[in-house]
Amino acid sequence: MKFSIQKDRFAQSVQDVLKAISSRTTIPILTGIKIDATEEGIKLTGSDSDISIESFIPQEEEGKVLVDIQQTGSIVLNARFFNEIVKKLPSEKAEIEVISSFQTVIRSGQAEFSLNGLDPDEYPHLPQIEEGEVFKLPTDLLKALIRQTVFAVSASETRPILTGVNWKIEEGQLVCIATDSHRLAWRKAAVETDFNAEYNVVIPGKSLNELSKILDDSQEPVEIVITDNQVLFRAKHLLFYSRLLEGNYPDTSRLIPTDSKTKLELNTKEFLQAIDRASLLAREGRNNVVKLSMIDENLIEISSNSPEIGKVTEQVRSREIEGEEIKISFSAKYMMDALKVLEGTEINIQFTGAMRPFVIRPENDDSILQLILPVRTY
Amino acid sequence: MSDIWKDLNELQPIVLKMIMNGLAKGRVAHAYLLEGDPGTGKKQTALYFAKSLLCEEEGIMPCNECSNCRRIDSGNHPDVHIVEPDGLSIKKQQIVFLQQEFSKTAVEANRKIYIINHADKMTASAANSLLKFLEEPAADTVALLLTEQAQRMLPTIISRCQLLSFKPLPPDLLKNKLIEKEVSLPMAALVSRLTNNFDEAFRLGTEEWFAQSRKIVLKLYEVLLKNPLEAMVKLQEDFNGHFKDKQQVSLALDLLLLLFKDLLSIQTGNEQGLAYPDQLALLKNTALHSSIVNTTEQITAILEAKRKLDANMNPQLLMEQLVLKLQGGASFV
Repeated sequence: MKFSIQKDRFAQSVQDVLKAISSRTTIPILTGIKIDATEEGIKLTGSDSDISIESFIPQEEEGKVLVDIQQTGSIVLNARFFNEIVKKLPSEKAEIEVISSFQTVIRSGQAEFSLNGLDPDEYPHLPQIEEGEVFKLPTDLLKALIRQTVFAVSASETRPILTGVNWKIEEGQLVCIATDSHRLAWRKAAVETDFNAEYNVVIPGKSLNELSKILDDSQEPVEIVITDNQVLFRAKHLLFYSRLLEGNYPDTSRLIPTDSKTKLELNTKEFLQAIDRASLLAREGRNNVVKLSMIDENLIEISSNSPEIGKVTEQVRSREIEGEEIKISFSAKYMMDALKVLEGTEINIQFTGAMRPFVIRPENDDSILQLILPVRTY
Repeated sequence: MSDIWKDLNELQPIVLKMIMNGLAKGRVAHAYLLEGDPGTGKKQTALYFAKSLLCEEEGIMPCNECSNCRRIDSGNHPDVHIVEPDGLSIKKQQIVFLQQEFSKTAVEANRKIYIINHADKMTASAANSLLKFLEEPAADTVALLLTEQAQRMLPTIISRCQLLSFKPLPPDLLKNKLIEKEVSLPMAALVSRLTNNFDEAFRLGTEEWFAQSRKIVLKLYEVLLKNPLEAMVKLQEDFNGHFKDKQQVSLALDLLLLLFKDLLSIQTGNEQGLAYPDQLALLKNTALHSSIVNTTEQITAILEAKRKLDANMNPQLLMEQLVLKLQGGASFV
């Protein structure tokens, strides 16, 4: 393998794939970055076996020559040292050559590094993607989907399946569900696709967080391919693979109540701030609990009481209250998490009783829903 | 047929047969416990088994050449996880990591395999975490637990595994092999009792330090017999200086244990296959002065000392206590 490449572009790609590489891996080969030189360009791969990131540098872009490939081939180089070396190369161009038995020479300006590589055949094989079964989503929508669901995944490993987000694709609709069994986030979006297939997979929350970090904000579509073991997200010159979680996701459709006894309409921002203030005193108490009760027509009261600290009450004006009077307690943290990801200035909340889960939706938007279980207080 | 296969089949025909039958009939259990003395080829078998499950080639026998087989050999296969004790024990964290790993789908193949070496060294909480994991196996997960001391493992873990018992190699086989390599008879007899691994036996048998160790342990034994009061002094003189770290003390205890075992077998009338054949006269002499009950008590004391050493007792105090106990046994005769 021998090629020369533009340093800045190369360093950027190395940075990207480095995000997938973990320092505490048990598999020695995964401490390295895999470099593949083909006729089309240079491909870099980093992986911690949970997620893998591939970055591609084409030979030519917008008329500029980025890479000059003299000989094709592959090599795996230690990521930590390689990253530092590439960042600090003196000249604009870098030349990389594998001489013999994985010994790699990196030349730039007057500097020359000789690095011991690893056998590229030892590197995990990423799934081969078959063209065709592809879904498309705009990058900004994908990022919103992730942001609006992933916060609700479970942080504990007692039920591993709940640490992921359930993605269901049916009839051109993507439904994302995340729950930690105390709250649930649900989001629906239309996907662009040419064929009809149904998928039901669970993607680890950690992987989605990483994906969200690595994608830039743009309208460009991201292609999504789902295989048996992995899911692939393909942006421009960037491939992101993640393993899936094993097992069946619990059926959540029956959890979401369809009827309601009480309906509230509130201004999102005012309500969020009121909850935030009430939680100041609640935070110290157990469970971070605040209480919501109706005191008058179009007036609700948010209160919290920690006997050893003090108490707080605040009245919030509601646009409209319908149905039975209700007193309900819930976790302020869950409520704030839910309110922060809801778009729109007005929200409505539907209750079906003080001991039943309640649903929060933005006004005039049925593509997103947040569900919270109340807390029993005596 | 590969060499490894031939070697293993020669040493452990029953275990290999069980594994091969399981593979051939497509009835691979979700967990196996590979149990046997050091050097009986447990780890080799485990890796071999993993290769059989993941090899790309047709057939039951792994090819040892495809990329899966080669990556298992080098420890780079992403779907084969090997857990080794971290320091003295396998920590709960390592098992939790394993559990997280196995809640996800496999990276490449459709099977995931984990190998836990020295499974008896799991801490109590680690063993209990593993138990839960073993109870609810995900599809196509194979667990291979390796241990030298199956009796130290939780019975609830053992009951959830298919047991593969590795036969100890006959000591005479190794002894004769060593003698062929020009290791002296007394040495060959002793080291063939200590290990089943030829390379290690050969290394010990030709090592100056080990020869010295043997001498010191024998001297300690003699002093214990003749002049129990001097034993403590002897301990200070040679023993503590020679056996410095824990592993070395453990070896010394093994040597001492074999000596008492020889004594016991002479007392029960068996003079064949001794670990110290050159000391026959001395041992015979002692055998007359001591009772079988006494000897078993002394053996118990040594085993107890071994256990305490594993539990991090100060080696010097441990040896002093042991010497006192062994004396106690002798003075009652």
